[in-house]
Amino acid sequence: MFGAFGKQETPKEMEEILNDTITPQELEKFEKVYMKELKDKKCVTAKTQFEYAWCLVRSKYGADINNGVKIFEGLCKDDPDNKRDHIYYLAIAYTRMKDYTTAQKYVQAFLEIEPNNMQVMLLDEHIEKELNKEFKKDAAIAGGALLVLGGLLGVGFALAKKYHDKKKPDEEVRKNEPAN
Amino acid sequence: MNENFSRISRLIKSKIDDTIDKISIMSAPYSYSYIFKYIIIGDMGVGKSCLLHQFTEKKFMASCPHTIGVEFGTRIIEVDKQKIKLQIWDTAGQERFRAVTRSYYRGAAGCLMVYDITRRSTYNHLSSWLTDTKNLTNPSTVIFLIGNKSDLESTREVTYEEAKKFADENGLMFAETSAMTGQNVEEAFLETARKIYQSVQDGRLDLNSAESGVQQKQPQRQGRTSLTDDTQTNKDNCSC
Repeated sequence: MFGAFGKQETPKEMEEILNDTITPQELEKFEKVYMKELKDKKCVTAKTQFEYAWCLVRSKYGADINNGVKIFEGLCKDDPDNKRDHIYYLAIAYTRMKDYTTAQKYVQAFLEIEPNNMQVMLLDEHIEKELNKEFKKDAAIAGGALLVLGGLLGVGFALAKKYHDKKKPDEEVRKNEPAN
Repeated sequence: MNENFSRISRLIKSKIDDTIDKISIMSAPYSYSYIFKYIIIGDMGVGKSCLLHQFTEKKFMASCPHTIGVEFGTRIIEVDKQKIKLQIWDTAGQERFRAVTRSYYRGAAGCLMVYDITRRSTYNHLSSWLTDTKNLTNPSTVIFLIGNKSDLESTREVTYEEAKKFADENGLMFAETSAMTGQNVEEAFLETARKIYQSVQDGRLDLNSAESGVQQKQPQRQGRTSLTDDTQTNKDNCSC
């Protein structure tokens, strides 16, 4: 499923892409172009929107990433020719915001168009791993709670048994022993 | 009071050092002394991602869709008995990505500039790629010109001699490669690293600058390896 990439290497490669952030200066450069077009022409070209949104998605601030998502969502409708790119960056954006469930929806939408795309398959693997981690964490918490509950019940039973045994004559207790 | 404090801090420091030792033993096969940042640039469809894939995985990707934005790959190589980790950013060749991919040029120690020997237009665009590289990287960035798809000799549109002349005139290293057969791929990446390493040895690259694209993994503790420079060691001594 993961093609030619070594299984061990893949998550690290993806992490580099996800951890890569844009410098504030670079972001500002593309923001200026976007704002200027918005002010002068009241409408921004798809190219400028795309460039600005891509930079926003690479920002280290969640608010920027969110703004990038909004632009990409608009582009999916307004610039359908390049939909694959927009969907990819929506998946990247949600992954960066750790909303893995939404990210996975975009990944699946992409893989329906291009089933063997290596970049998206790597992202899919990364998301899967993170979701597994979350699941394990939840399971561990639930398991921990069950253990505590079980422990309490066990202590309760033991106490009850002790109390119960004390009441019985000695002979009866001996009969029960092999069964234990 | 003060003495106690310093004793405790020394104890903590030794514990931390032990842990670092354990970690470095565990990760020994993956340890390296330097990190070099590379970028791969060039027109759409010249085989940039295939070159990266051939270099990192030693495999040829027969069907390779257009890269979206950037891809990333790493491999640890050895130059002069020094382990070097190459961090390679492979940029999308489509024009629509070009403005933003320029932000990846900054701080590249090596730049692989690729054209397709069977498509003259990709060769004709080299001067524009070169202008970008010269403007956005530093003077010590090593630029390696790659004429890819050398296996497709019958449809060749750019001769070796012509490209070699262009490379010489612009001070670039040059080779023709085939991402399909793997011919010269390894060499192109390694030659670039050797040239960068030479600049490091000659002191032409400032390791402290983010612009240089070279990071030295410097052991923090005194006397661990010969790589630790003296000033660093002295500083460590003073702080204890």
